[in-house]
Amino acid sequence: MAQTNALNWFLHRITGTFLIFMLITHFWVQHYDHQAASVTHEVVTEKGEMPDYPEEAKAGVRARYGEDAEVTPYQVVMQRLDDPVYAVLWKGFNILFLVVALHHGFYGLNNVMTDYIRDPMGRLIARALSWTLALGLLIIGMYSVITAGW
Amino acid sequence: MQLTIEIKRYNPDEDDEPHWESYEVPAEPLDSALSLLLHVKWHIDGTLSLRKSCAHGICGSDAMQINGENKLACSVLVQDLVEEDGDTVTFAPLPSAPVIKDLIIDQSRFFEKYRDVKPWLITDGPAPEREREQSPEEHAMIEDATKCIMCGACTHACPSTWADPDYLGPAAMLKAYRYTFDSRDDGAEERLDVVDSPDGLWKCYTIFNCNEACPKDIDITRWLSALKRKAATSQATTKA
Ligand code: HEM
Ligand code: SF4
Ligand code: FES
Repeated sequence: MAQTNALNWFLHRITGTFLIFMLITHFWVQHYDHQAASVTHEVVTEKGEMPDYPEEAKAGVRARYGEDAEVTPYQVVMQRLDDPVYAVLWKGFNILFLVVALHHGFYGLNNVMTDYIRDPMGRLIARALSWTLALGLLIIGMYSVITAGW
Repeated sequence: MQLTIEIKRYNPDEDDEPHWESYEVPAEPLDSALSLLLHVKWHIDGTLSLRKSCAHGICGSDAMQINGENKLACSVLVQDLVEEDGDTVTFAPLPSAPVIKDLIIDQSRFFEKYRDVKPWLITDGPAPEREREQSPEEHAMIEDATKCIMCGACTHACPSTWADPDYLGPAAMLKAYRYTFDSRDDGAEERLDVVDSPDGLWKCYTIFNCNEACPKDIDITRWLSALKRKAATSQATTKA
């Protein structure tokens, strides 16, 4: 009975490789470098000015995380997703990132589950539940990415 | 030197649970770990049970857990054990296998999995008049894998086996590799059917414990990866 996982195994490798680059990009752009995230924006939009947190909010962040601490304001993320040129690219990136991470994570989770669940019926139920959850997360994720900023 | 030997003992007729017993054993640096056990058996407690035969790393009988690692008792030197872990040496049966008595595990499951992968030459055509030839390059593909002595150190070192006793395990799948990649063999499809299963190849998470355990230094993970690629490409081509 060849109940093959070959394709999923192959995709797990591919998605793992993608994740190296996508995670770095994601963290750099979304969570770390406020400037790098903003530059594309400033160049591309005519609006000219970047949204920012009010001074007292930034002071609060500095007090908590140190003088060099920076945060990426919500509005910056939103403007990127509303950008006339880059929005489609970023939305594409985010959706690919979502699909890749969900497949990678949930296939991995399924491996862990089948390590411990040996009963075939139990395995089937665990698999069905987990992929249903993944599908739910995919729908919510795609909805958020597509509607954000638009 | 004098070593303290701790052995995980279990006698199903008397014990509910395995327990540790301690023995003082004289040893020389170049003695094997097996000779420590034989000293216990011959001079201290004749009821100690263990498997061994060749005492030269050929038969694969005396794989066991020594200082927490799966090894062949006959192929480990006292000096190396002492250098790494001091002068107490522990012996336990291979983990995650049913224990028959003391250091002897029930290998039936292990050899069932071995038979499952059809570890023999499968050919389509009639037998040739003389031997089936193979070029040195073709042999080089499988040479490493042919060194396996079926000791079971790898399969019982694998967390996938610990979690799921039904997992085929590295030893059996290495055999599948050895025949599938043998230029004289035509049974790839049948064998891939067996290893491309929920308890087969895809439960190998490239943990490398098998490589670490193998007393023959076989690069098991590498060959299992080659088998995975073969299974994946043969899936892709049969579907297409
Ligand atoms: C740098 C990015 C990543 C790389 C290169 C990577 C690579 C891998 C690889 C190669 C495996 C398979 C190991 C095997 O079965 O042989 C794996 C397993 C796994 N990955 Fe990732 N991964 C990355 C990020 C992530 C992320 C972000 C998640 C969570 C969403 C994740 C969740 C998992 C899970 C749950 C497993 C299964 C673990 C197991 O089988 O015990 N990985 N990863
Ligand atoms: S591959 Fe190595 S560890 Fe595994 S059974 Fe063969 S000789 Fe023993
Ligand atoms: S006794 Fe034969 S391999 Fe150790």
